[in-house]
Amino acid sequence: MDIVKGYEKEFEQLVEIYEKKTNDRSLRSPGVATIIVSGNKVVGLNSVKGMHIKSRERADGLVMIDVEIEDNTIIPVPVHLCTGFLRKRGEQVLKFNYIIGDNVKVKFKSHCILTKVEKLHHYMESDMYIGKNSFVVYEDEHFHDEGGGVFVETITRMKIDEGSFFSSKFYETKTRVGRINVVMDIELLKNSKANLESKIYGREDDVIDIKEILRLNGENSSGIAKSTVFATDRTKAHVVNEAFGNAPFARGHIECNEIVKGNEVSVSTLPLLKVMDDKAELTHEASVGRINQTQLETLMAKGLTEDEAAEFIVNGLLS
Amino acid sequence: MLELKDIKYSKNGSEIIKGVSMKFEQGKVYCIVGNNGVGKSTIGYIIMGLSDYKPSEGRIYLDGEDITDLGITERARRGISLLWQEPARFEGITVESYLKLNRDIKKEEIERALELVNLEPSKYMRRYVDKKLSGGERKKVELASCILLKPRYLIMDEPDSGIDIMSLDMIVRVINYFKEQGSSVIVITHRKEIALNCGYSYLICAGKVFLEGDSKKIVSYYERTCDSCGHVNYLEEE
Repeated sequence: MDIVKGYEKEFEQLVEIYEKKTNDRSLRSPGVATIIVSGNKVVGLNSVKGMHIKSRERADGLVMIDVEIEDNTIIPVPVHLCTGFLRKRGEQVLKFNYIIGDNVKVKFKSHCILTKVEKLHHYMESDMYIGKNSFVVYEDEHFHDEGGGVFVETITRMKIDEGSFFSSKFYETKTRVGRINVVMDIELLKNSKANLESKIYGREDDVIDIKEILRLNGENSSGIAKSTVFATDRTKAHVVNEAFGNAPFARGHIECNEIVKGNEVSVSTLPLLKVMDDKAELTHEASVGRINQTQLETLMAKGLTEDEAAEFIVNGLLS
Repeated sequence: MLELKDIKYSKNGSEIIKGVSMKFEQGKVYCIVGNNGVGKSTIGYIIMGLSDYKPSEGRIYLDGEDITDLGITERARRGISLLWQEPARFEGITVESYLKLNRDIKKEEIERALELVNLEPSKYMRRYVDKKLSGGERKKVELASCILLKPRYLIMDEPDSGIDIMSLDMIVRVINYFKEQGSSVIVITHRKEIALNCGYSYLICAGKVFLEGDSKKIVSYYERTCDSCGHVNYLEEE
């Protein structure tokens, strides 16, 4: 691991918070590819065979990171992307550019550690190209400050080439959200597949916006975009799922489940399906409301109180 | 003893249960039979205290205590439980944690319950109690859950529905297992093989107890008369 001189303390602090939150000790391992960003500085980098990472920091604070993975590379352990902010206030602007070759197998584990801030705008824009017949998993977990002063914007654009599979999981369930705006825009080429999943738990006056778009441009491409929001207190949540069936035998499914608790929440969902080829098939499923009564009563008939039953159900949904 | 006294229940202005009285002693197996739509499941839901099934008249007693106004949780904690005809699905919850349900239950006990319902623990413990389980598998998981609850009174609403015919023996075996454990089982069924395994039966017709007594006699009457009788199938519920 290359730790930038003068930033050893920040590196240590971020790694410690991550280890405490996740019980994962792999960040320091030399065999694990890692990118650690603190504020507007890349403080730690470690690459592995077949993977190239370059970073630049501009004077205006923008951090640019290029990740390239060579054809036929299999990375056996997850690549860690750790972004944190250790000052009380400020802005963090990150631009990731991924080029993933053909026949690659890789899993990214991204974690945003924003637990010590009072007011922060975290903006992350990513462009990812996945070559042919590759298998890519991207898991993104966020840990925010409990005061609600974090505003996270993540915008991801992707192109998935022929025969590849991409899976993404975006979770913000363990700490307060603050304000979050997640956009995922995925283009799928022939025989490619994508599986997008977002799970967010809103508390107090959190504001949640999710937009997931599947552009099924290739023959026999398929995708699922599924969002689950548990909104409590005065949370506002708006979820937009879109799927475009633009090629023969393209199949897409979008799903949004927003579970509410309390009378002051405001949630909405907007599905959009558009078919441009008569052999494409798109479906959607949406539910907005309180926890299903039959589920509650099933657990209450086993002796759980209504609150215990609700917690059990929500823990499952957000796990 | 669990006792229903003159229970009446109405929905949307129409009376569905019209003064039903029943008695269930602990450690015995009872059957509620009758055609579709006569109110059998409704009686089960009233006993469990489901939110839309509060009786308009009559009382329910458990060991002399009036439990009519108690909620589902309180009734469950007193030992009443329900095997649902179509159990709910739970996303993100494994079979193991569903059966454990935040309680301190040993893994061996869970495995034993799964074996009793013909589910191989190694194949099912890590699976989710979601839409991917077939109807029959979900029903068996629910049956295993009831076994682990060790209820004093278990209402089984159509225990064979959704389950393959080869598993009928298993259901009868599980009913007998409950009996051996000292539980009382109230089986709501159409299935002769299951009804004949019960000691005492109530034949429901148009929201009333039409006949009661030894299961063999009641089943015999039901087969001879009710199967071909269409006049009672007018309730929209069930």
